[in-house]
Amino acid sequence: MNRWLARGWPAPHWPSIRGRARTDAGPLLLTAAVIAAVALLAGAAPALLRAAADRAVQDTVSRAGTDSNVLVRANWERDDGPTGGRVRMPNLAEDLDDLRDKATWALGPDLDAALLPPVATVDGPILSISGGSVPRTFQFTYLADDLDGPDVTWTAGSPAGPAVSDQYVENPYDGPPWPVQVGLSEADAAALNLGPGDRIPVRDGRGRDLDVRISGIYRPADSADPAWRLAPALLHPVPGVDGVGTTRFAGLLSRESLPDARLAVDEDQLRRTVHFTPVPAALTWDATAALVSQVVKLKATSGASSERDQALKWESQLDTTLREARARNSAASAQAAVLLAGVLTATVLVLLLAADLLVRRRTPVLGATRQRGAALPDLGAELIIESAVVSLTAAAVGLALARAAAPGVSWAWAVPVVLAGALAGPTLGTLAAARASRDRRQPANPAARRWIRATSQLRRAAVQAAVLLAAVAAFVTLHQRGLLPVAPDGDTGELTGDLILPISALALGALVGALVLLRLLPLGARFVLRGALRSRRPLAVFSAAQAATTAGRALPPLILVTATALASFALILGATVTRGLTDGAWSTVGADARLDVGADATSATPALAERIAAAPGVRQVVVAQVTDSARVFSDSTLFTPRLVIVDAAAFQRLLATTALPDAPALTRLTAPGPTPGDVPALVRSSDGDLRVGTRLQLPRDDAPAISLAAVGTAPSVGGANDVVIVDATALANAGLPAAPNTVWATGPGAAQAMSNTGVTADVVLREDVLRAQRVAPLTTGLLRLAWTAAAVLLALGLLGLALAAAAGAPQRWQTLTRLRTLGLRPRDVRWVAAGELLPPVVVVAVCGPLLGALLARLTLGPLDLRLLTGQAADPAAVLPWWLLGLVSVALLVAAATVVPVESALRRRDRLSEVLRAGE
Amino acid sequence: MSDEPLLRVHGVERRFRTGPTVVHALRGVSFDVAAGAMVALVGRSGSGKTTLLNVIGGLDRPDAGTVHVDGTDVTALDEDGLSRLRREKVSYVFQSFGLIPVLSAAENVAAPLRMARVAPTERERRVALLLELIGLADHAQQRPAELSGGQQQRVAIARALAASPQLLLADEPTGQLDAETGLSVMALLRGIVESEGVTVLVSTHDPVMMALADRVIRIHDGHLDEEAAGQRYAPGPDAG
Repeated sequence: MNRWLARGWPAPHWPSIRGRARTDAGPLLLTAAVIAAVALLAGAAPALLRAAADRAVQDTVSRAGTDSNVLVRANWERDDGPTGGRVRMPNLAEDLDDLRDKATWALGPDLDAALLPPVATVDGPILSISGGSVPRTFQFTYLADDLDGPDVTWTAGSPAGPAVSDQYVENPYDGPPWPVQVGLSEADAAALNLGPGDRIPVRDGRGRDLDVRISGIYRPADSADPAWRLAPALLHPVPGVDGVGTTRFAGLLSRESLPDARLAVDEDQLRRTVHFTPVPAALTWDATAALVSQVVKLKATSGASSERDQALKWESQLDTTLREARARNSAASAQAAVLLAGVLTATVLVLLLAADLLVRRRTPVLGATRQRGAALPDLGAELIIESAVVSLTAAAVGLALARAAAPGVSWAWAVPVVLAGALAGPTLGTLAAARASRDRRQPANPAARRWIRATSQLRRAAVQAAVLLAAVAAFVTLHQRGLLPVAPDGDTGELTGDLILPISALALGALVGALVLLRLLPLGARFVLRGALRSRRPLAVFSAAQAATTAGRALPPLILVTATALASFALILGATVTRGLTDGAWSTVGADARLDVGADATSATPALAERIAAAPGVRQVVVAQVTDSARVFSDSTLFTPRLVIVDAAAFQRLLATTALPDAPALTRLTAPGPTPGDVPALVRSSDGDLRVGTRLQLPRDDAPAISLAAVGTAPSVGGANDVVIVDATALANAGLPAAPNTVWATGPGAAQAMSNTGVTADVVLREDVLRAQRVAPLTTGLLRLAWTAAAVLLALGLLGLALAAAAGAPQRWQTLTRLRTLGLRPRDVRWVAAGELLPPVVVVAVCGPLLGALLARLTLGPLDLRLLTGQAADPAAVLPWWLLGLVSVALLVAAATVVPVESALRRRDRLSEVLRAGE
Repeated sequence: MSDEPLLRVHGVERRFRTGPTVVHALRGVSFDVAAGAMVALVGRSGSGKTTLLNVIGGLDRPDAGTVHVDGTDVTALDEDGLSRLRREKVSYVFQSFGLIPVLSAAENVAAPLRMARVAPTERERRVALLLELIGLADHAQQRPAELSGGQQQRVAIARALAASPQLLLADEPTGQLDAETGLSVMALLRGIVESEGVTVLVSTHDPVMMALADRVIRIHDGHLDEEAAGQRYAPGPDAG
């Protein structure tokens, strides 16, 4: 020590460092392997999840289709002429170009970079084509992108031209229909059997004939041009878009015929819109916050759509779509962080045990070195150099592999593992060396011995109380605050300080469970020992005594219970998500297939349902009127739930054929209401505002509101949280007949039957929803992480078991050898060893999965798994018993293997060598 | 005491190989010990005392020579035979006590009796007698951690005597004890020899222990250098 004080800094003895490293290469390599493996996982998982988040944003926007477009509308300048007519405005196309440029400039650079170049459209009203056996509709449309519209080849005739050559024309309001020329696609022309020069027999909603003439027939140069998606009827007839059984055709306007189109219809019927379509590939998680902010800002500055001015009116669901994607990503990040925190906790414990094993091997050497006069700082420095080299090298290898697997590797999660690897060994080793130079004798004074024991117990109790308090705080924060960022738009995707506590809740919960078991194990072992002492079998006594002796060791049970519980949790999480996807698909669709009928075709819904019901393989078909954001009042509150008007009995039968929960309360809808005149209703709301017993008013146009009485809790319909269900017959009796717009069907033939209705765009199939959810980037990413985490945790648990057995082996065989000096037979030694090793593992194999199930029950709710599964509510934990059983079996098999292996290894040692080593 | 020696060691050799180096721990050691004698085995550290005790107790096998305990050739016994020998005839006391920490003093003493499947009543009687003998009757229910080092070694001695062995091998039993406690333990061993008639072979550095022995065997580099048979030992140069 004096030399150390004189120098002031440690002077490591390099040959000793090299010698110790060579001697203990095995444990050091094991430590390095653990650090490298976990650094690989901890480094790659966040990067992979980030990549999955980018793909999820892109996937969400792609799936949203045109809903995620950014639209800008603006009214036209009025065209009132000075003589009481309407003036032909030849510069409408230029006005449209100005609008497009103005809107593009307003986007700002971030949003502009995420969107395709704009396409401006001008749409006329939906006109009906007279004649023909089936209802046909027609719309003329003008498309203009940067290159003046998508390229076409005119196969007959010519592009649409102006109706008049004069620059200034005023058409009286009561004048004849103004002629307008349009081009037709080959497919549309063939279907209508018309050609250049023909007049299309169209009529507006008020029954007035329009003069629409075909200037030419075109063929698109590239039918995949995104501009065509805005008006697919310009390429070919589109069935069903204007109602069941209808077919829409479209005529292409030109810059020259656009002014005529305006005069051909009423002043406000020609609408101009600039469409910005997102480029999914250009969207990243990082960019979404700025994009959401910009879209919201644009919508906030938007003029009122009812006002007759030319201000830009912005419309888009892009902000909502991105917000939902961000919420899902945040939830997935938090769920991944919870799993990683569990893996890191188990790894740190395993590294502590590995360090403990290493120090046990080295204690004689370190003690001798210390007794020969080595200073503790020198010894500590030597050990730190060794462990730092091992830990940092291993972490670097792990992170390099992670970088190869996923660019943008995150090193932050690897820090706790590297610190544990670098510090545990030196700390324990220095303490062991310090103990070697202290008097180890047991004090003769009983009070001194009690004091030593009490101090040790107090120290341990303080650590356990600290862990317990941290766990309580973590669980309270988890349940009160949740895991999602407080301000979703401000979420950067990184782990922030306020999330560390709730994310640690699972790991801390597992530690507390392990500590409880740690307290109970010695009690149980002593109880068993008391029973064994009453028996006449010496092996039972010695086994129980050995088990009771080692039951007090903290690290082995801590590791085994923690790793097993966390592995079980990961398995439960994976199973819950997997099952949740199935339930989510049922919840989203409501049946095997759903048909959403357009508002103008509801009269055909019952006939459509009958056709579907008659199809083979269809078990149940139910029609309903489903109205989102319906207005329902209580005494003082406006609610906007999903209103479902359905035949209650049929709906109940339908639910019985699905995996959705039954709703016995539906029978109350056909019973008389609690008050005469009230229509019974089932209600459901996420915030509990819609309660059973509430009286509601359903307003009607030009008639008194209908009173509803909430008589029970409604099932979730289509994943909506706020739902009001009423019986169609009861409501019709009250004066409001239903106009069904939804058809649900179940049965193996339901999907086929729905698809054959000819309105495929509105059919939602459960299998399609489930398939899409299963391959969604975040879902697959989280599931892979859950299964990987479970495997890693199980491996850590088994490694912990092996390390614990190895660390305890010298003492165990020392004791067994002493028992042999008392006359214990060699073949009995294995039974005593098994009696020591197996009982705690059996307890862990039973309690670990149970603890995992308990933790899942306590923590799955705040994890917001429903955001990934698409379920209406947080899913209940699904316990995959056979997988949990495998975890237990793996532990038991490993423990059962340790005993014969250890016996075989120790059998070679002479008793004298074992005893000499123990002296 | 019988004229027939209880322990007969003849030409025992034991070599240890450490890499290319061969260490001769015992080189043709031969001696006899009569029944009921207390023999001190003295020598420097590494002189071969513990090796000799291990060979005698069957914990180690000699490279050459024979060891007879009560007429039984220990070197010819298989593992089961050795176990039976240790259950019935030979017992040990070690420097580090070797008690089972979760068992009380009485239960530790009873361990060999359980192994020998002695009936509970007889076992309890024998344990009470031994605890009385070592002066720890009042500490019967205390665990090793609640006992001092000297008390633990007394319990270890009682355990070694539990199965009424003919030969007690004690390897530096006072090595971890202070002088005063060590003296009381040695006095206990001496008393046991006289009261129980057990033959004790004890390795020690302690001159007081040597003074209590009936005979001292000095071992040096695996040879018996000196044997002071039939007389109490007077401290020599190694006693220090």
